Amino acid sequence: MNQRLSATLCAAALLTINVSAHHSFAAEYDANQPVTVSGTVAKIDWTNPHIHFYVDVKDASGAVTQWKFECYPPNMLVRQGWKRDVTLKPGDVVTVYGWKAREDPALGAAREVTFADGHKMTAGPPAGTGGR
Amino acid sequence: MIIKTRAAAAMLVAALVVSASAAFAQKPASKIPRAADGKPDLSGVWITGFLQLLIGEDEARKIQQGDAAAGRTLPPPEPAPYNAEAEKQRQYFLSRRGIDDPMARCFISGVPRITTRPLPFQIIQMKDQVLILYEAHHAFRIIPTDGRKHPDDLDPSFLGDSVGRWEGDTLVVDVIGFNTKTWLAGVGTIHSEKLHVVERYTRDSADTIRYDVTMEDPEVFTKPWHEHEIFRLRPGERLREYECIENNEDLLRFEKLLQTDPALRAK
Repeated sequence: MNQRLSATLCAAALLTINVSAHHSFAAEYDANQPVTVSGTVAKIDWTNPHIHFYVDVKDASGAVTQWKFECYPPNMLVRQGWKRDVTLKPGDVVTVYGWKAREDPALGAAREVTFADGHKMTAGPPAGTGGR
Repeated sequence: MIIKTRAAAAMLVAALVVSASAAFAQKPASKIPRAADGKPDLSGVWITGFLQLLIGEDEARKIQQGDAAAGRTLPPPEPAPYNAEAEKQRQYFLSRRGIDDPMARCFISGVPRITTRPLPFQIIQMKDQVLILYEAHHAFRIIPTDGRKHPDDLDPSFLGDSVGRWEGDTLVVDVIGFNTKTWLAGVGTIHSEKLHVVERYTRDSADTIRYDVTMEDPEVFTKPWHEHEIFRLRPGERLREYECIENNEDLLRFEKLLQTDPALRAK
C-alpha cells in the first residue's frame, strides 16, 4: 500500500468515515500480521457478503495446510474485473497476499492474488478499513 | 453628440454585460438533464464514498483526477460532535474493533450510511416522488415530493421516514422516525430515536450530484454533524443482487472471538 493511501486510511479511521465493505477489518484480522502463501486453489465459495477461497499450501516437509481467504463480495470483485468460474478456478496455482485472522491460524483476508502467468488481481480491501 | 455617444456606449456595455451574465448563468443549467417539470433530473445509477473498494484503485484514481481538473473539492470531514456520554460509548465500540457493527450482522444501514456504502444505488425521479433503490440489502426509499408531511403514526425504523421538497435546483429530503439499530457512518457512530437527518441533493454537473447531509440529535450531539459526498453517475452500470445474510460467517467468528479474545473479554 502506498504512503498516500495509508495516510488517507489513517485519516478516515480517525474521523470514523464509513469505508467498510461489510465489517471492520480489525474486528477479525490483524493488520500487523501480513501473510503471503503460495499453493493450489481447492475451492471457491462465490457468496455474499464475502467470497472465500481455499488454497492448499505445502510446506518443506510436504505437509499440506488448507488456507481460507476472505475477499470482497461478488459485486465488488465483478466491478473490478473478476469473472465467476473464470478468474479463479480450482487447480489454479496462486500466491495470495493478505493479513492473518486474529483467531483462526489458517484464515486470512486476501488483498491480492498473483496468478501463475504473473498477473495480479485485487481481492479485498486494504488493512485498516472500517473504523480502526 | 458626445453625450449621446456616451449614452449609446454605456447602453452597449450594459447590454453586453447583461448578455454575458445571462450566458454565464445559463451555462451550468444547460449542462444538467432536467425533468419535464424543469427540475434537475437526478435519475441514474450512482456511486459514492470510498470508491477504491467498489471500482478498484485505477478507476478511482481517474475520478480523483477528474475532480482535480474540474476544481471539484469537498470540505474536510468533520469529527462527530458527540457529547461526553455518547463519546464514551463510541470509544467502547472502537475498543472492540467494530465487532458490534450492525452492518456486520447484515442489518440494513440507515441514513446516510446506506448511501455511502461502497455499492451503487439508483435514483428514479418521478413527478411527485423520488425513489432510491440501493444495491445494499435490497433497500429502497420512497420520497414523496408532493408536499405531504411525515405521517403521525411512525414506528421507529432503520431507514426512517423521508419527505422531499425542491429548494430551487436542490432536492431537500427530511428524514425522521429512526430506530437505534444503525450506525451513521463508521464504527460507533451511534444515534438516538431523536435523530433528524436533512439531505440535500444538488445535480451540479452532468456527471455528479453534490450530497450534503446534516444530522441533528439532541441526545448524542452537541451540535449538528455535517457530511458531504459527491455522487458519480455510472452509465451502463446496473444494480446487482446483494443478499448479505447468504453466507455471513462473521456472525460465528464474532461469537468465537468474544469467547477467546482477551481484548474483547476484558470489556
